Amino acid sequence: MPHGPLSRRYFLGAMATGVAAVWWTGAARVRAGVAARPIADGAAPAGALGPAELRDVDAIAALVLPTDDTPGAREAHVVDFIDRGLATFAADQRAAFQSGLADLAARAAARHPGAARFAELPPDEQVAVLRALESEQSEFFEMARAATLAGMFANPEYGGNAGKLGWKLLGFEDRFGWAPPFGYYDRDPSASD
Amino acid sequence: MTHRHRTDGPRSDPAAATGPSYAHREPVDFAVVGAGAAGGVMARELARAGFSVVVLEQGPHLREADFKHDELAVLQLAALTNDHRTQPNTFRTADSEQATVKPAVMYGRAVGGGSVHFTANYWRFHEIDFIERSRIGGIEGAEFADWPITYAELEPYYTKVEWEIGVSGLAGASPFDPPRSRPYPLPPLPIKPSGVLTERAARKLGWHAFPAPMAILSQPYRGRAACIQCGFCERFGCEVRAKSSTLASMIPEAEATGRCEIRPMSYVRKIELDRRGRAIGVKYFDARKREVFQRAKAVVVCANGAETPRLLLLSRSNAFPDGLANSSGMVGRHLMHNGYALAGGLFEHEINGYRGMVVTRVIHDTYELDPKLGFVGGGGFDFRWDMGLIGFALNGLPPDAPTWGPEYKRMLREYFNRTVYVLAHCTQLPVASNTITLDPVVKDAWGLPAIRYTFSEHPNDRAFYNWMGQRALDLVNAAGATRGWLYPVQRYYPEVHLLGTCRMGNDPATSVVDKYHRAHDVPNLFLVDGSSFVTSGRGQPTMTIQALAFRAAEHAARMARSGELTRRG
Repeated sequence: MPHGPLSRRYFLGAMATGVAAVWWTGAARVRAGVAARPIADGAAPAGALGPAELRDVDAIAALVLPTDDTPGAREAHVVDFIDRGLATFAADQRAAFQSGLADLAARAAARHPGAARFAELPPDEQVAVLRALESEQSEFFEMARAATLAGMFANPEYGGNAGKLGWKLLGFEDRFGWAPPFGYYDRDPSASD
Repeated sequence: MTHRHRTDGPRSDPAAATGPSYAHREPVDFAVVGAGAAGGVMARELARAGFSVVVLEQGPHLREADFKHDELAVLQLAALTNDHRTQPNTFRTADSEQATVKPAVMYGRAVGGGSVHFTANYWRFHEIDFIERSRIGGIEGAEFADWPITYAELEPYYTKVEWEIGVSGLAGASPFDPPRSRPYPLPPLPIKPSGVLTERAARKLGWHAFPAPMAILSQPYRGRAACIQCGFCERFGCEVRAKSSTLASMIPEAEATGRCEIRPMSYVRKIELDRRGRAIGVKYFDARKREVFQRAKAVVVCANGAETPRLLLLSRSNAFPDGLANSSGMVGRHLMHNGYALAGGLFEHEINGYRGMVVTRVIHDTYELDPKLGFVGGGGFDFRWDMGLIGFALNGLPPDAPTWGPEYKRMLREYFNRTVYVLAHCTQLPVASNTITLDPVVKDAWGLPAIRYTFSEHPNDRAFYNWMGQRALDLVNAAGATRGWLYPVQRYYPEVHLLGTCRMGNDPATSVVDKYHRAHDVPNLFLVDGSSFVTSGRGQPTMTIQALAFRAAEHAARMARSGELTRRG
């Protein structure tokens, strides 16, 4: 089987639940002739987002993968990944992402007079806004979550996963070549239990 | 045949043609559309038989140096597969609905096709897969039929696949295996923790786990290296040529004949006929979107179960107003995939599923089931880890786990190295209203009508998958998981097993190709890929696609030599 359901669920679980569909495949807005363009080697592309937007993205990413006893999205520079991605390989989704951020700003202002942006809300109110978005099955929420996870766990050359912090968090070793035993249970495969 | 050998251009340019440079205006013996699992076999076999062959592949000709362990590139940026940004398809569940754009089909788009990025599970079909209709009887709402060939007729070609491309396994290890004429050429790959757990679970349930037959080399074979257990099989290209893709196995041997030209970035849009209704070549867009007409004495379409019927429908003409080779009306019908059910389990100790190949043990005790259970079907199980890292973070936790925040993050750390998934691979019934057609509105980046995908599962199948899900959970628990969970049965899109849409049969009124893959309506047109399937099998269709291709190539060569292709069939 070329793609197990597990891997397919990855960017498509999407279809049933809304996960990542927009950010990833751009399927909602098919534009003929738009090809994926990876970031050129060494070139640090101009970002897609303005300073206020970047602060909001950083705040969202830090809620999805917070910094606690281990590093989170902030230390892994997830915001850089998203900023770069929306300027390059996911440029066709930039408008949708920005529109989601604008909606978030409006929610912040409605909730907390004086707060013009999501990042300006107190932490507990940020959590409440994000919970509300999730329960509404907001496409933007799914997009932002998927983008955060990709920024945390994709190869570092895309701008996130700084210092391979995401991989270290999971316990993934990027050795790309293994021999038995691979783990605990195959140390003595003949053992009956 | 006049041609010149190329001396210009770097060998590794993914858009550059390789092999002899055949003139467009002079007919080659065979034009092969698609360089995938079937196309690679056809190209190699026909070229070795002495014929001139041009292979037209819509994707690039990547090499091992192009393959990276880059999850974002291969999956999200469609580095190895069809890109829905330029090749959208539309989706609906019934003819009565308005189809909307949504990725429904996925296939390999590169020289080697899906065999470049597949997981490489190589199950043969069993006897039952070819004769299940007569064994079980008809099923209301399904066009359940026997194949026009039997397992015994295909057995020599299964053996040929194993020895020609390189398959690792252990003959006789499964009590359910069909008869075979030769052992595997290579011993099984080493067992992983997930395989040990498969064996443990099977023992508890009184079932039988056996070494997974894999199209991955456990030892060096025919100049190719053994697997280094990098863990990046499924979705990725193999950088050491241990995975037996046609890119690694068949294509270089086709090129070595000096008679096979591979033209990547060549997107075929129409098969042309002469006034007598014989194929005279194919029109395609080259890398710069210029239209080219390649003449050929015969055409072989190996474009997969979605693109093959699409190409036939795009090739409609006055003689074939409903699509080429479609006098039966069966082109695009009976679309099948495989069904799935999925459970997960958390274990006390490290499984480290990301290390090494995806699957090492398989269970086939459910290959044939008692119809008294209340449904028709059969399948098998494996324990696996094929999530990728981003994929695990998106979807790898149990369904009731949080999806963000501190507890989510804690669970990612706890589960990553200690989780295994049990996947049930299942049959799916052929239903005439499940189709590939042309979308009347949406077009791809070349201006061609997009695939319109129409699909609803037969009610029998959902009942069967739910039952298999419970058995998957039984296996998780029998393996000793500290926690087991079941994912709700659902269809996973986009689908990768694209089957049944140009079904094979003896009756031209109810099938598209004959038992040799020749179109009933066009004597020099062959369709060779998953579209020929009459039933879905239990999963892992590539092995059977390639066995069929070896057989089809033998007969196509025989017919070409005897002059049969130039006569009305």
